Formats: sequence, C-alpha cells, structure tokens
Amino acid sequence: MSTESLLKTAQQLLTAWTLETRAPEWNRIDIVLRPDDLPGAAAALAGARWGYLAAITGLDNGPESGVIEALYHFCSGAAIVTLRISLPRQQPRLPSVCQSIPSATLYERELMEMFGVDIVDTPNRQRLFLPDDWQEGVYPLRKDYRPQPLPVEERRVIRPIPENSQPDRFTVPIGPQHPALKEPGHFDFSVDGEVITGASVRLGYVHRGIEKACEERSWVQCQYLIERICGICSHSHAYAYCLGVERLAGVEAPPRAQAIRELVAGLERIHSHLLWVGVSAHEAGFDTLFMYSWRDRETVMDLLETFTGNRVNYSVNVLGGVKYDVTLDIADKIRRGINFLEERTHHYLDVVTKDAAFLQRTRGIGVITPAEVERLGLIGPTARASGVVRDIRVEAPYGSYRSFPVSSVRESAGDLEAKFIVRINELFVTYKAIQTIMDNLPEGELTARFPRKIPAGETISRVEAPRGELFYFIKSNGSDKPERVRVRTPSINNFTSVVSLVVGHQLADVPLILAGIDPCFSCNDR
Amino acid sequence: MSDLQTVVTFLFFPSGLFVMLYGMAYEWADRKVVARLQNRIGPRWFQPLADMVKLLSKEEIEPAGVNRLLFVGLPLVGLAGAMTASLYVPLAGLKPPASFTGDLIVVLYLLSLLTICIGLAGTITPNRFSMIGSTRVLTQVFSYEAPFLLALIGPAMAAGSWTIGNINFYASSHWLLLTQPLGFVVALIGLMGKLELPPFDAPEAETEIVAGSLTEYSGRGLALFKLGKAVELIVGLTLVAAFFLGGINNPLEFLLKTLGLLFVMAGISALMTRFRIDQVVRWWRYGALLVLGQMLVIIAWQIWKGL
Repeated sequence: MSTESLLKTAQQLLTAWTLETRAPEWNRIDIVLRPDDLPGAAAALAGARWGYLAAITGLDNGPESGVIEALYHFCSGAAIVTLRISLPRQQPRLPSVCQSIPSATLYERELMEMFGVDIVDTPNRQRLFLPDDWQEGVYPLRKDYRPQPLPVEERRVIRPIPENSQPDRFTVPIGPQHPALKEPGHFDFSVDGEVITGASVRLGYVHRGIEKACEERSWVQCQYLIERICGICSHSHAYAYCLGVERLAGVEAPPRAQAIRELVAGLERIHSHLLWVGVSAHEAGFDTLFMYSWRDRETVMDLLETFTGNRVNYSVNVLGGVKYDVTLDIADKIRRGINFLEERTHHYLDVVTKDAAFLQRTRGIGVITPAEVERLGLIGPTARASGVVRDIRVEAPYGSYRSFPVSSVRESAGDLEAKFIVRINELFVTYKAIQTIMDNLPEGELTARFPRKIPAGETISRVEAPRGELFYFIKSNGSDKPERVRVRTPSINNFTSVVSLVVGHQLADVPLILAGIDPCFSCNDR
Repeated sequence: MSDLQTVVTFLFFPSGLFVMLYGMAYEWADRKVVARLQNRIGPRWFQPLADMVKLLSKEEIEPAGVNRLLFVGLPLVGLAGAMTASLYVPLAGLKPPASFTGDLIVVLYLLSLLTICIGLAGTITPNRFSMIGSTRVLTQVFSYEAPFLLALIGPAMAAGSWTIGNINFYASSHWLLLTQPLGFVVALIGLMGKLELPPFDAPEAETEIVAGSLTEYSGRGLALFKLGKAVELIVGLTLVAAFFLGGINNPLEFLLKTLGLLFVMAGISALMTRFRIDQVVRWWRYGALLVLGQMLVIIAWQIWKGL
C-alpha cells in the first residue's frame, strides 16, 4: 500500500474520535483526540493491524500555556500517524493503551516519571529510568525543571520497593551487574527449577538525561552530544538527528555527503553485527567463535579509524553534510577490508548453521511468531528473523538509500538461529552496498550552508540503526536551540519480547534470548 | 616404608606439593592451548601459580548467614579428598605410594568428594547463583558419575583386579583403547564433566549464574577449591591414561600420555558450545548405555574365554 492510502486508511479508522487533523509532512498526519478517546483510537489502529506503536513522546509546552501534550506515534511503512492529546499541566491524566498494545507499558512508565502524567490503569507503575532516590513529584523533562544537584540528605528518601507479592518465588536477578550483561540493566527472572516463570525489567542505570541536556544546547552542540548516546551506533544517532534537523531547516546535504553517510552507516552495521555474533556466541558458551569474530571485527574498526580518526564516536556528520572525504587511498583500504570480511563471513554463516553443538542452543529456541512481532511492535533484525520486514531503509528510504538501495534480509523461523542468519546475511548485503557506493561515489561538495537558527516546526526522523528503527522526534521553536529532542532507540521496542517470551524457557537460554534482540542499554537510557 | 619416606611421599613427592604444582602446570597448559586455538595469546607459564599465591594472600570474605564451619571446612575436605586420591595412582610413572584391593572404587569416591564439597559449598550461602550452581553440580554428578565409573570398571574387569596398580600392570601389555574404545571415550568425556571443563561447564556458566556454587568464595577458600580441581585433573588424567593408553610405568610415559590426553580435552573444550544442563543429562544417558553395552560384551568375552 502506498503511504497516501495508508494515511487515508488510518484517518478513516479514527474518524469517530478525531477532533482535528493536521498534515505537517507528506508522510505524516497528526490527529488530535480527547484523552478519554485514546484507548478506543489505539485499539482501532491495533485491531486493524495498522502499523505499530513506535513511541510515545511527551511534550511540555511550558507553564505559560499550561498544557502538556502526549504524542502517540504509530508507524506503518513510511506513514506516521500521531495521536495528539493535550492535557492540563496541573493534573495530567490519561487512560492506558496497554489493553490493546501491551508493549506500551514501557513508554507509559517513562511518560509518567518524566512528565508526571498519571496513566490511570497502566499495569506497571514502577519507575523505569529514574533512580529510586529521585524525589517524588519532580518531573525532569518538564520545562520548569532545572537540573541541579540535590543535597545528599534529600536524596536519602528512597522510594520503598514494593514487597514481593509471592514471597515463595525464587527470583534470579540478572543485573545491574552481571557477567551476561556488558552494560547495566536489571532483569528479575522468577524460576521454578531451571524454568522461567516470570520476568520484569528495570532500566536507567546509565541514564544521562541527554534529552533534557539537548534543550539547553545549540543545534550544533546537540549533535556532538547525541553522537555519545551510544558507543556502537553513534553514527546512526547523528545520522537521524542531522536528517531531522536538515528537514526542519529545509537544507539537503549534497549527494556525496549522503553517500558517505550511508557508507559509514554500513561500516557501523558491520562492526555492530560482528560484535553481536561474538557476544551471542559468548552467551552460549562458545568462546572460540567469540574470539574469532572479534578478531575479524578489528578489520572494520581499523577501517573506521583510518577513515574518521576514531574507533567509536566517528563524528562523521555535520549539519548539512559530512566532515570527511573518501580519498583514493581510503577507498582502496575499504575495498580490501570488505573483501577480507566477506570471505570470513561465509565461514561464520557455516558455523552458525552447521555446528551441531551450537545449533542445540539456537535452533527452535526463543521463537517469535510473526503475530507476536505485530502484537509487540518489534523492529529491526528481531522482526526480520520472524519474517516481518521492518526495515526503514527499505520501507521509507532516507538519504542516499534512494540512490543506493539495499535489499532487506528475512528469515521465517523466528528462533535464535534465524537471528544469527539474518544478521550474518545482512552483512553480505552491507558489503555489496558498500562496494556499490565505492564504485559510484557522486562527485561534489561535502557540506551545504546551514543556518544557525532553525524555523519553528516538528519533524520525525527515522533511521535504520543496526538494531532496528531509530526514532527521533525533533521540535524547533525558531531559536538556535531545540525545543524538544525525543530519542526512541530500537532496543526498548524489543525488550518487551524478552520479558514476555522467556517465560517457559530454561534459565540457561535466557542470556542468549536476551542477546538475541541485541539490547543496547546505554542507547535506551540516553 | 620408613617414616621419612612416608613424610616425603605425603608432603612433597610424588603426592603433596608435587601434584599440586604439576596440576597448576597442566592448568596452564590447558589454558594456553585453548587460548592458542581461540587465536589468543594465553597466560604466562606461572599464571596459575601467581593466581594461587594471590588468592591465598587475600582476604576471605565470609557472607552473612553462612555456617562458618562448613564454609571454611568444605574447601579443606575437598582438597584433602583429591590429595588422598593422588596417593593411589601411578603419579610420575612411579608405583602408587599406597595400594590395597579395591582402591579404584575408593579413588573414584574421593574424587567425587571434591565435587560434592563444591556442590555443598553453594547451598550453604543464601546467594541465588550459588544455589542454582549447586543444583547443577549435583545434577551433573548424578549424570556422569555412573557412566564414568562403569567406563573405568571395564579395564578392571579385563585385568581381573580392583587395584589400580594391577590394572596399570595389565594395561601396560594391552592397549585397552583398542579393545574398549567406547569406554575410553566415555571415560575421557566423564573426566571433562568431572572437571567441569567446557562444554560441561553449565554449573559455573558465567553468563547465566556468575561463578555457580563458588560465587561467594574468595581468597583462601576459592584457592583451595581451585587447587583441588588441579589435583583432580592430574589424578583423573593419570587414571584414564594408565587404564586405556597402555599403562604408565615411567616418567616419560606419564608426561606424554597425560599431556596428550590434556590436549585432546583442550581441543574439545575449544570446539564446543556449552551444553544446557538438560542436554548434559540427556548426553549421559546415552553414555551410560554405551558403556553398559560394552560391559556386557566384556562379560560375554570373559565367559567365553573361561569355557
């Protein structure tokens, strides 16, 4: 279905509740609703299987206006429908949409703690990101909150942790510090013998308040801050941010810059997927594969370092273009590196599909059906391993993906093996795309002129990060600083799959199932 | 045996200090081989010794709520079991320092004593990783103990003796690897299970349960358990090499045969993915059936020979 007809369908589904319809961009409509109509409208979209809930954005319009807005973004292909609800700032209350969209619980928890919106019947009212000793009634993403260090005595007020409702449950805590996790997150698994009977998640151990910090920095400074959200997909974040801000400013980066952005995104995907193969093999106790894949990953790390000067935060982007050019020497190095990696990747594909001992741990384990992908709104390779194409590069091509398209890799089994195959096959697609870009790199400028102040407006920028769709909602108020930058990383969508799907699995499979979605905690926590 | 000789045997050579140091040297060899197979450099030759010295000199943190006697005593009992077992095997290719009829069974039980101590060590702390680790240790003991025992009884039946020295003597003229290949495979893999080497390291799977039943151990207790494991490695290798690889009658044979076995085990460790505990148990069911079948063949053979 085309984007226009998708939007039309959504409009028709929602007519009963619509107060006002706006079309801010060609692929978006905003539909204004009354708070009480929200569950009905969400259920209508979910019931018609119109896309998935991509994010809930809170928007504080400031004490003068006295309004907080809650934005529920639904995505289907390139089409984005935003349900906008205005709430009184004094006592914002909303009904929950978890009845029809179970994965909304994480976003609702975030909305509650960050904006003080009371979501009346949400299943879990626990904090998700804020620390337990954060003061009650202080909502950090509201405009009148100023970050300030609290005196130690005041921080001693620790919220009581709710008593365990079933004291005879035997829970295994994984995290915040645990060898299975390379970053801090917290999962509580209740087990019966070796079998998991329940799970819950708590994040925020590396929350840095980047969304809030963005509101106090200039557009250019924000880019450097945003690159530091994630150490693995640093480029994807800057890519999404730059695309969004460029769209708001009405500037387009020159074709050569666009191609270089895609090139770096490709190199980043290679490094991320090879890293994932290693980490997952380690979780399964196959350290030899871990060591080999990380050895080969050094090739792409060296390429990134040669090209950008950095192994991790490449900082290739600037608003309106890129910083670094692909010289003949670098092009040659990249070609050779990619050829070597392609040969090695064939070997890894062999290992993960033929090694009997390894298959014992991956085949048929952690199966996610396409129906569950739809229900939980899963994205990225996690969804593609279950046969559902959720790939922004293909569904809503951005930047140079229009001139250098990539094909989307799909597997139907939905188990851990399929996740390995999808990611490894994506490596091949990426190698090919990089080679095409290297052969047909457009000539021309690297940057376009970019204004200091950006016209007022809102935009949504979506980029396919290695882990799935990266979602940026950017609002400008016409000044040299953003009004709001909302970052929704792919891992948070996929966490719900871990929490709901591990039940019934063996404890020994949990690290691998958790690794299967390639979680990135620092991304989530921002 | 004079008193002095007894003291030397017990404390220094071939049991005592020698077997501990030798165990650490083999631990190094194992780590080094696995590291090279995994494209890593691996530790320096004195690393296990350095670890041991460091652990022994460190503070031992005793978790709240444990029984102090058990917490301190279990590593000692485990190590003592392994050390005692080392008295009955032909260490360094010498005649076993001690011997009596049926010592094979006693050695096997002394080796299990260490494993059971490790299992118990997990249950006395309130740590949840330790608890799960202990369950897995004990599950694994029950699954591999019987096949391992049966596999080692094969050579005993062929030799017609329950004394390790006699079996070793018999095996010196018969390469039982050739006549009892199944027994050899099961014994080797059983040894890997006993030592909790990958892929049978589910009881201490770090990505699931941190360090399993030894999670709460630090300092001296951990050092003693590790030392016990090192001694167990030597005793186990010596037993399997003596029984299946043509006996051990001189130091050179001892070195070559045990080291050869160690390399095979290191290779298997590097090649495999960790088995889940249920998969381990399933594997051993087949292992037990295989050796049982082989035992029947041996019995039939002996009856036929006796006729």
